[in-house]
Amino acid sequence: MNQAASLFDPAEHAERASPPDKPTIIAALQAQLPAEMILTEAEDLRPFECDGLSAYRQVPMIAVLPATIEQVQATMRVCHAMDVPVVARGAGTGLSGGALPLDNGVLLSLAKFNRVLDIDTQNRRATVQPGVRNLAISEAVDHLDLYYAPDPSSQIACSIGGNVAENSGGVHCLKYGLTTHNILQLEIVTVDGERLTLGGASLDSPGYDLLALMTGSEGLLGVIVEVVVKLLPKPELAKVAMVAFDDVRAAGDAVAAIINAGCVPAGLEMLDSPAIIATEEFVHAGYPLDAAAILLCEVDGPAAEVEEDIERVREIVAGCGATDVRISRDATERALFWAGRKAAFPAMGRISPDYYCMDGTIPRKALADVLIGIGELSKKYGQRVANVFHAGDGNLHPLILYDANNPGELENTEAFGGAICELCLEHGGTITGEHGVGVEKIDQMCVQFPAAELTQFHAVKAAFDPRTLLNPGKAVPTLHRCAEFGAMHVHNGQVPFPELERL
Amino acid sequence: MTLTTSRDNTRDDPRDNDIAESLAAAVTEAFENSTPIAIRGGDTKAFLGESGSAEQSLDITGHRGVVSYEPGELVITARAGTPLADIERTLADSGQALAFEPPYFGDAATLGGTIATNLAGPARPFTGAARDFVLGARIINGRGEILRFGGEVMKNVAGYDLSRLMAGAFGTLGVLLDVSLKVLPRPRAQVTQRFEQDQTAAIQNFCQLGRKPWPITASYWEDGTTYLRLAGASSSVSAAQKSLGGEMLSDDVAFWRDVREQQRPLFTDAKSLWRLSVAPATPVLDIAGTTAMDWGGALRWLAGNDDEQGIRQRISQHGGHATVYRGQASSRLHPLSHSMMAVHTRLKNALDPAGILNPGRMYADF
Amino acid sequence: MQTSIIDAIRNTPDGREANRILRACTHCGFCTATCPTYQLTGDERDGPRGRIYLVKQVLEGHTPTAKTQHHLDRCLTCRACETTCPSGVEYAKLADIGRGLVEQQLTRPRRERLLRWVLRHVVAHRQRFALLLALGQAARPLMIGRLASLKSKIPPRRASSVPSHDRIGHSAASSGRSMLLFDGCVQPSATPHTNAAATRLLNRLGVRVITPTGAGCCGALSQHLSYRDEALDYARANIDAWWPHIRAGAEAIIVSASGCGAEIVEYGYLLRNDPAYAERAARVSALTRDLSDVLAAENLSRLDDIGHGQSVAYHPPCTLQNAPHLHDHVAEILTQAGYTLKPVANAHLCCGSAGSYSLLQPEMAGALRENKLRSLTAENPDVIVTANIGCQMHLESATGVPVRHWIELLEPAA
Ligand SMILES: Cc1cc2nc3c(=O)[nH]c(=O)nc-3n(C[C@H](O)[C@H](O)[C@H](O)COP(=O)(O)OP(=O)(O)OC[C@H]3O[C@@H](n4cnc5c(N)ncnc54)[C@H](O)[C@@H]3O)c2cc1C
Ligand code: SF4
Ligand code: SF4
Repeated sequence: MNQAASLFDPAEHAERASPPDKPTIIAALQAQLPAEMILTEAEDLRPFECDGLSAYRQVPMIAVLPATIEQVQATMRVCHAMDVPVVARGAGTGLSGGALPLDNGVLLSLAKFNRVLDIDTQNRRATVQPGVRNLAISEAVDHLDLYYAPDPSSQIACSIGGNVAENSGGVHCLKYGLTTHNILQLEIVTVDGERLTLGGASLDSPGYDLLALMTGSEGLLGVIVEVVVKLLPKPELAKVAMVAFDDVRAAGDAVAAIINAGCVPAGLEMLDSPAIIATEEFVHAGYPLDAAAILLCEVDGPAAEVEEDIERVREIVAGCGATDVRISRDATERALFWAGRKAAFPAMGRISPDYYCMDGTIPRKALADVLIGIGELSKKYGQRVANVFHAGDGNLHPLILYDANNPGELENTEAFGGAICELCLEHGGTITGEHGVGVEKIDQMCVQFPAAELTQFHAVKAAFDPRTLLNPGKAVPTLHRCAEFGAMHVHNGQVPFPELERL
Repeated sequence: MTLTTSRDNTRDDPRDNDIAESLAAAVTEAFENSTPIAIRGGDTKAFLGESGSAEQSLDITGHRGVVSYEPGELVITARAGTPLADIERTLADSGQALAFEPPYFGDAATLGGTIATNLAGPARPFTGAARDFVLGARIINGRGEILRFGGEVMKNVAGYDLSRLMAGAFGTLGVLLDVSLKVLPRPRAQVTQRFEQDQTAAIQNFCQLGRKPWPITASYWEDGTTYLRLAGASSSVSAAQKSLGGEMLSDDVAFWRDVREQQRPLFTDAKSLWRLSVAPATPVLDIAGTTAMDWGGALRWLAGNDDEQGIRQRISQHGGHATVYRGQASSRLHPLSHSMMAVHTRLKNALDPAGILNPGRMYADF
Repeated sequence: MQTSIIDAIRNTPDGREANRILRACTHCGFCTATCPTYQLTGDERDGPRGRIYLVKQVLEGHTPTAKTQHHLDRCLTCRACETTCPSGVEYAKLADIGRGLVEQQLTRPRRERLLRWVLRHVVAHRQRFALLLALGQAARPLMIGRLASLKSKIPPRRASSVPSHDRIGHSAASSGRSMLLFDGCVQPSATPHTNAAATRLLNRLGVRVITPTGAGCCGALSQHLSYRDEALDYARANIDAWWPHIRAGAEAIIVSASGCGAEIVEYGYLLRNDPAYAERAARVSALTRDLSDVLAAENLSRLDDIGHGQSVAYHPPCTLQNAPHLHDHVAEILTQAGYTLKPVANAHLCCGSAGSYSLLQPEMAGALRENKLRSLTAENPDVIVTANIGCQMHLESATGVPVRHWIELLEPAA
């Protein structure tokens, strides 16, 4: 019916014994859960057919909306017993199709789990349900002058469960780390419905670091049903410098210069001209509309240090050809500067019906080259690109603008996106810094990882989910799939997986 | 991935060498013969965990040298056998450091052992553990295959985070070959203030300070005295020093080194030494013995008590865990629950199906 | 977002409009975060993004059932989603189109039809509503047993201090300035104080206030019940009533009930395809302003310190927060007048009143009201104020704290 169908590898499901038919599965679920939590008809299911990457759509066979951990366990037990694959879904803001449903599977929504369960001020931690919005955590502890550090741009809406599953970053992760650095404990439900606690109240726990393994596992190893997050004291002062450049290369070089000077800003973000124009229209943050690029550089910490460092930043960027520097005067202006950055992706809807967000991460020194390379690819593929990204981390987000209603444009966009991924790999980077592989970058995984690594990933998966019932077809491609992809796609004159037989 | 970039732009030490292939060959052979092997670096942390059941050992100290280091990228990649001291010196030359302050426990400490044990010094609660700085790793799995996970960039979520999983796995999941670590600039200024207070007051103090945006990078208590280290720009350090009060410690660099290396009398004199990891606000533990606290209260050192059962029971009630550093115990690391042990053995099996890598080094079960 | 609207709809004005709005949606989900109903149920179908999808599938030719209708009905049309949406998706317009299409394809059960009929034919008519209200107030003491729940819906009787028609308040200083004041359908009988107070204060400020008789319901009620043509008729009637005064130089159309204000500012959009009215409707929309917006532009020094630090919790109606072109200055005016405004958590969430919503979706409305009152009373205010008659009546029916229109707090200065 749509794009997604072609992304699935039939071989992945070939060996499954044929599961019971839909009515039997529904009956089994209904025996365990209230009927209104089980959606079975297309009319109800279609709103769940995609996440934040709406180019890929698939109506699930069934959607389940549990409200208690016991109900999640019951759902998993039924699905496990009946060999039905399960896709977990948080807020559905993912940009890699991680929560894309399966036509033969159950979509397990965790959105009803939206309560903050406990705030432990003494130990600076909060226990929250997985569906709690990222921003809602910081709001809940605001009066204590604490906050939860990772702040994806989608923080107003994305769920903490989704953040853990994707190991989400944010605009402040250069200094404060990713999700994996900011959680203490996870409660998970395994594929067969068991509960497990990973991590703990202390800063480390005995045995393997399963907390790290689970973080970023894209719903393939277990369902996250409770999260204990670390809370940090709000910095005494934070200031953001909005720096304009009339040349993208100069902006890229300024990023490297700031880091080279021994400064680790709390956040260092960049927007290029198309991005500036689209976001300014929504937030009216006073972004200079004629700049080729702007950098948002935030320093936070003790007041004296911030005053000192922001001046250093001002000097450094002036030396790099900045055309204008504005430093936030107060908290309101600081919030305003950031508001534009955080709304930047969806604001693209104002200048283009659809956008396709890439997520490659590269060494900072390659920033300018890769940005210019993307500009060239844009000409080659004949499609516009806006860049809004975590410059300090080298995490690019080229947004390819397209119109899904024009036949062929999505396909061209995907090819363009693939080329950007490979450009990042050529510069020593990775295909995804924070949005995850999902279903979208699954083919590029074949370029990034050789067969032995992929096989190892599958073995790890099997340790948790031997029958691959959790989010199958995502994150890690089968070797079979890579062989097929390689047949279509010769990279730098070299076919990946030459040792595998092609179909 | 560019772990391969052999940009030896650092020191040209004739001892630097990449022997990954021969190490892999040895593991392959061990895999084929099902011969358990003990992975050995500088042997400085042999006292941690169990001794393991392997008779043959695999010496990785020949696999050494910094593979790549560019200060502007805040990343260093080095071979696992590289002496930790070499790495820290290289970083210091560029005004940078490993922010987790790894303990050495001996001059021969290597990078591999540091990551495999996931040890961190007093800065841990403020900057992170070793695992928090791991960006990527090249390993040999239990089949003798050389695999690369993660990368040299700040963020990478392609595939499971197996490089971070190696931290603290005591080599039981793979032989570490090269590790890429995030590094940070050294603080521009540092002072330490001391205060007289009892343990209860110290715990309260730590909790309160933890909720305030002070530039604190270490907090330790011992024998009625709290030590707070302030670090950052000199302006903010001296401002904090003024507000916090207390008495300034003269040779604080040596002091924190002694804390990190367990050279304080509490440690050197103890016949039995337990490391208790708890939530920071945990009240004074009702366990006999002499206590010191690090990590803002989250780490409690206990000397002079060898009642394994009693300690473990008490600590479990507080949601923490206990590791024995010195003395006798039936399990040196904190025992795992039945269901967790099941997950561990399955995971071990996924990376080391023949069970040849450091078997029994963590727990008797794998 | 990709769309494939069926031919039968695509080339109609509604179809084109719907397509335009849908294409702007990037399915990012930001809007779910501020949607009151989604926050309550955690069900995609009860959030804006899901409702957009429900409408989209109807536009794409899938026949809706009562379930789609149920989830669209549960939408408060509070438009918090619009304020949140970075992409500028005009949700309310799309929802109107969607509801209309669903209404055409489905027949509601008798009970629902009856209730909706009553709402349209009684509430929206000033005299009929006044009569019903008077009966209800008289019968209040008799409402026991099963009728007790109804009691909470009937506001207490308030002394009326102005005649109910033909009012032209004259300013003391005849500066020649004049403004129109919108009366609406429910307000004159339920809370006559509001406009009386507004009139007196404006008069003191030198503004002549005109309330023409021909104007009636703003049309919002019909609009939300998917009687869009009926809504347009109300709009035309109001425009006809106001036009002579506008030509004579009335500076503004002041609305003291933001629910009505939000409807009237849309007249220009709603009548854009009606050649006979489009131009005048646009002018009317441009002149429409919230009472607080009008007052904020005047010299309010006479208000200084009349509040004596009394503590106030302000509930800004959704319509004032989210309708484009309506500006809220209530908090600053009350602060200037010497009242102490208490912080209120989750101010962006709807109280559940939402026009006829509280009558049609009592369960959801009740839950929202409970949450709202918890936030409003958290700091024990002396009084709760709001800027919309609907919110005022809805809130006061469930709390012991007095709930008033904010303008009444300025009475001492009038
Ligand atoms: C406008 C916009 C901006 C964004 N900016 C950023 C950014 O700055 N940084 C960033 O990192 N990301 C960003 N994202 C991506 C996205 O918001 C994150 O990946 C987020 O963590 C997804 O959370 P979610 O709750 O929406 O998860 P979903 O999209 O619902 O799911 C994401 C994945 O997690 C799995 N999952 C969800 N919940 C659970 C659970 N409880 N247990 C197990 N698995 C689960 C799903 O199966 C899926 O694989 C952005 C997205 C948008 C639309
Ligand atoms: S916020 Fe706007 S663009 Fe995003 S899903 Fe909601 S309506 Fe669509
Ligand atoms: S109008 Fe209000 S209730 Fe309706 S979808 Fe938008 S936010 Fe939700």
